[in-house]
Parts: sequence; structure tokens; C-alpha cells
Amino acid sequence: MYEQIAFYLFSVLIIGLFLVTVLTKNVLYSMTSLAAGMVLIAGIFFTLGADFLGVVQLIVYVGAIMALYAFAMMFFDVTKDVKENNTNGSLIFLLGGLTALMFVIIMSAPIMSENIQALYPPMAGVTNPQAVGMVLFTKYLVPFEVAAVMLLVAMIAGIILAGKKMDQSLTTEDDVIVEIDILEEDEK
Amino acid sequence: MSLEQFKNRSVGTQTYKMVDYEPTPDTGMGRFQRVVSRTFRGELFVGLYVTMREMINALFGGGMHTTKYPFEKLPISPRYRAIHDMLRLLESGHYRCIGCGLCEKICISDCIKMDTRYDENQRKEVTEYTINFGRCIFCGYCAEVCPELAIVHGQRYETASEQRASFSIFDDMLTPKDALGQQQEFDGFGAVSPNADDNIKKTPLAY
Amino acid sequence: MEIAVLPEVTSAGVIIKAIIILAIISAVAGFGTYLERKVLAFMQRRLGPMHVGPFGLLQIAADGIKLFTKEDIVPQNANKLIFQIAPSITAATAFIALAAVPVFPDFTIPEWIPLLGGVFVPSIAADINVGVLFILGMMAAGLYGPLLAGMAQANKWGIIGSARTAIQFLSYEVVTGLSILAPIMLVGSLSLVDFNEYQTGGFASWMVWQQPVAFILFLIAGFAETNRTPFDLLENEAEVISGYATEYSGMRWGMFFIGEYANMITVSVIAAVMFMGGYNDLGFIAGWLIVILKIAFIFFLMLWVRASWPHIRPDQLMWLCWKVLMPIAVINIVITGFVMMV
Repeated sequence: MYEQIAFYLFSVLIIGLFLVTVLTKNVLYSMTSLAAGMVLIAGIFFTLGADFLGVVQLIVYVGAIMALYAFAMMFFDVTKDVKENNTNGSLIFLLGGLTALMFVIIMSAPIMSENIQALYPPMAGVTNPQAVGMVLFTKYLVPFEVAAVMLLVAMIAGIILAGKKMDQSLTTEDDVIVEIDILEEDEK
Repeated sequence: MSLEQFKNRSVGTQTYKMVDYEPTPDTGMGRFQRVVSRTFRGELFVGLYVTMREMINALFGGGMHTTKYPFEKLPISPRYRAIHDMLRLLESGHYRCIGCGLCEKICISDCIKMDTRYDENQRKEVTEYTINFGRCIFCGYCAEVCPELAIVHGQRYETASEQRASFSIFDDMLTPKDALGQQQEFDGFGAVSPNADDNIKKTPLAY
Repeated sequence: MEIAVLPEVTSAGVIIKAIIILAIISAVAGFGTYLERKVLAFMQRRLGPMHVGPFGLLQIAADGIKLFTKEDIVPQNANKLIFQIAPSITAATAFIALAAVPVFPDFTIPEWIPLLGGVFVPSIAADINVGVLFILGMMAAGLYGPLLAGMAQANKWGIIGSARTAIQFLSYEVVTGLSILAPIMLVGSLSLVDFNEYQTGGFASWMVWQQPVAFILFLIAGFAETNRTPFDLLENEAEVISGYATEYSGMRWGMFFIGEYANMITVSVIAAVMFMGGYNDLGFIAGWLIVILKIAFIFFLMLWVRASWPHIRPDQLMWLCWKVLMPIAVINIVITGFVMMV
């Protein structure tokens, strides 16, 4: 019974918070509600018994990705409302609603036909992280490694893009002179 | 001290201990070596040792430096310039002030006001004497200029009060008549130096 | 497993445990402020708080009364709602993290107590098998307190403070996670109870001797995550007034403070249980006493370091994290992996 109460509580709160995320005009409100919704999704994982996924949700989505969003928000004046220039509100509402409806139908179709079947049913005596590891390194090994390589490529590209003047220090006198020279060259 | 040492104006090169600043290494390897050497030099642990030593010393070695101020007070220098005191003559008990007005004249923040008249003995009598302590900067000129050592700086440095007038009335600053025995001769600002007697020379008229 | 032997954990027991954690840890966090002031004072040859109660012990009560009765100011252009909920995020995440930390041994409430008699109170409020990761995750979520507080208050010091929060917490989370990964590989579990079982063999079996590098890395990263002195950049007075807490007053500021001290206790507990032998008996000293002594030592170490070492610059902070600590942590994991395989 507790699980059901928790599930409905979390679901209602998540939907409400994500609605706030979409509908509010204040950047800070939308960011806060998105982060809170992410925490509650972790809560749903916990009620399902997927402790590891819940914790990963917390660390990755709440701790890292949302914090990066927040970092981007610092370029705005978050205390002011965003001015949106929607010309056709009803069209957006219609398109958004249709997309959502389609998504719901796609996701719920297997449940309706009762075709859902776990390919890797939970094994007895295996803890949560171990189960995740087994699936990840057997069935999904290739996608996992491909994702890892892609992330590595993205990381190296990011370092190269951001690190053009990384080896110059502004703290020593010689480097300041070098920096001034570079600036002068830029001006020319 | 010889004249040469006086003439050396570059103060920085004489007794100061120069901190050994190595030049910043240019190469990556040099920087790496500096980081490694600084990491394993153990300077951070010297810092930890110093604070721990001080703590043990303060707790068990009597090295605590706190003065519990309102309950304990540190002695202050006799030359300290706090709220003024008006002294009395020890023999007669009359106040020393002769009403010359020098202190009023010299006061650079213009905070001393005095009023005098001749009494029945044709002697100057002080009728009004106030110091506005809202303006006084405690420069000490009044004590220095006073020919009679009548106005001196006392030891009352806790100058918070509920009224402006608390310190400024002549009678408040004057030594109470019954406390004449406790009146201390001021040896601070403007006072006679301790070896004043040695410096007195006979004038030609005494021969 | 051996948990089956223990009495069943009921929801009443968990709720009682949660109340105990809340009450004890907030009291201990308050006492931590007293300890910090005292220890810092002694190291600077001062006396510290002396006048409220014997040796100033009731200073916490005086501070609490002051904080509760102070005016709660919300700045004019601030985002009122976010400004008001931000401190509770810090305090709440700090206490939620403690849900997965073993505090006090198990006990059963005696039968003669009405209503609650016979209820079994577990040592961990939520005994999930990914305890360590849960604590890290909650501490990661704790970053929202300072972040939102700084962004909501319409103050430039606040926004600089929250920017520093974001970079510092995000970066050092990586180091914390990687540094405890090597011990986790050795133990093969994420539960703090298993860590404790792993180190039953006395002083020589402590994890510190097997993973000294991981221990040092974890301590450094723990200092950064709890915003302690060498990495005290979020509210470094000389640079950014009080950082994210600039506009806060009264109890809302106090909640940031309690959250910070609760986090310090959490880090001390993790370090004591994961690396320093946990709550196993050491010779003739009982386990509960030795674990309290270990936690107290790590807490004292934080104060000691604060008295001794200077701040570092933000760029040095980032340099230390990404160019020094993270590579060392990764190398440590690789070496641990090789040693385990061979």
C-alpha cells in the first residue's frame, strides 16, 4: 500500500513540477521545479527497488546535468520574467498536445497488448548494482562502449575548443607580457 | 652607529630577511617538479604543528593571551591621553588652574571654553570651564601648554556615556576635595621630567 | 543473510530513528559550532565563548535564541519563493544523507513504555544496499541550496557565490566518487555495513593501510564538498562578502549553517567507517566509543586545518581538482584493479 501511495504522490508531484517547468515565465522557477522533478523521479526508482538507478539519477541528473543548466542560467537576470513572443498560442498548444498524446500511445501500446516480457528477469541473490553491471556488460556491451567512445570524443573536442590559451598564466610577469603581445597582435 | 649606516637610505637591504622566491619555471616539466617538491616538502604539516603547539601551550602552558576586559584591565602608559583631569594644589586644596586661558587658546579643535573673573583677593577665579568631548581629539596640547600642571590627561579611557555632558563639567574633572590624598602627580604629557632637579642651574643673580 | 536474524524493521521504528537522527544531529551540529569556536580560539591563544553558562557551553542556546528571534529579511528584488526555500534544501539534503549512515547501534524500545514498547529501532534509517552512493547523491543534491540561494537574491556577491558553488561541488563530486571507488572495488559492496565487516581484523586491517591515496583524496574532496577552509571559496569574506549567504539573516541563515555542520558530520562518519575501521572493537575499547572518537578526530581535523592553512584561489582549486586529484584517483583505481586481478 505504501508503494502505491508513494507512486501516486510522486507521479502527481512530478507532473505538476514539470508543468511548472514548461509553463512558468521565470527561469529560476522552471529550473528549480525541473531539478525537484528529477529528485522525485529518483524517488520512483527507489519505490521500484532499483536503488542503483535511483542513486545514479540523483548523482547524474540532479547533481551534474541540472547544475550545468544552472551554470548557464547565471548569464541571465534570473529575477526577471522572460518575455515570450508567441504569436499563435493555440497552434502550439495543439501541436504540444498531439505530441504528448502520441508519446503516451506509443509507450502504452505494449502494456495494452500485454506483450511486455522481461528479457532479463531479476535474478535471486544478485544485488542491484551487480544486476545493472551484468546487463550492461553482456547485452548492451556494444552500445555502452560506443557511448563511451563518443563521450571521449566530445570531451577531447571540448578541451581543444576551450583550451586555446590554456598554457598561459596571468599570474607571472613574463606571461603577462606575452599576453599583452598577443592582444596587440590581435588588434593589428 | 657610524655615519655610513645612517646614510644608507635603502632600508630594505639591511636587516630584512628576504623570502626565497624562485623564478616561475617556464617549462611544463619545471612546473611539475615544483609542484612535486612543494607537495612533499611537508610545509603544510609544519603549519599544523604550529597551531597544535600553540593550542597545547595555551591550554596547559599558561600561554593564553586573553584579557577578560570588563573584569580585567591592562595597565596603560602614563603618557596615555584619555579624559582630562583637573588637579588641586596639595597644600591648600585649591584648584591649580590660574585662569590664564592658554589651554583655550591652543586647543586646535576649539573644544575648551572657559570664563574667569577676579575674586575679592584680586585673584583669577574660574567660573565656567567646559570641554566638549564630542569635539576633543585628545591631542594633549592643553596639558602640554598648562604652566601649572592643572589640566592633565587622566586614565579614564572608557568614554561611553549616556549624556554628552558627563565628562565635560569642571567639577567632574576636578579631583574631589576628600580624595586629595590620592591625587597622583601626573608624569605624562607636559609633566615635569623625573630628573628636572638635575637640570636646574643657578642663575647669575644667585651669586 | 544475517539481517534475517534481527527483528523486523517496522515503519514506526524507522520514523523513531528519523526523529532521533534529526534531534541528535541538529544538537550535535549546534554543538559543533561551539567546538569550532573553542578550538579555533585555543589555537589562536584566545579563550573563545566564556560567558554563557560554564565555559560558554550554553552559547548554542543563546545563538539559537538570537537566530530565531531575528528579523527574516527578504531583499526587494529577490525571487521571494526560491529565496525562502533555498536554505531548507541545504538542511534537508544534509539530513536525508544521514538516513543511509549508521548512527548508534540497533536497540529495541523496552516493553514497559506505552504505545512504542517493543518497537525495534534499526541503526540505519534506510538500509539500502547502495548506501555510499546514496550519501554522495544527496550531498550532490545539496548543491542546490547555495546555488538557488545565490541566484534568487539579486545580489552580485550571491551570484558569484553560487557560481563558485557550482564549479566547486561539481568538480569535487568527481574526485569523491573516484576516490571511494577503489575501496568499493576491494570490498565489493556499496553498503557501509559491509565496509565495517571488511575491517574486523583490528588496527592492521583498516582500509587506510590498503588505500592511503584514496583516503587522502577523499579527505581533500570531503573538505571541498563540505566547504571547509582550504576550499572555503563559497563564502570567503575577503572576496565575496558571504557568497550565497550574503542576504540571509536569522533562521534561514542558521539552516545553511546546520546543513554545513551536518555535512561535516556525514563526511566524518564516512571517513571513519570506510577507511578507519568502522565500529569494530579496537583492543579493549568498545566499538561505539572508538567510532565516536574517530568521528570526533576527523571533525577536529577540519577545525585544525581551518586554524592552520590559508585559502586557495578559485583557479588553484580547479587546477587541483582536474589536473592533480582526478588523475591520481584514476591511476589509483587502475592500480587497484590490476592488483585485484593478479
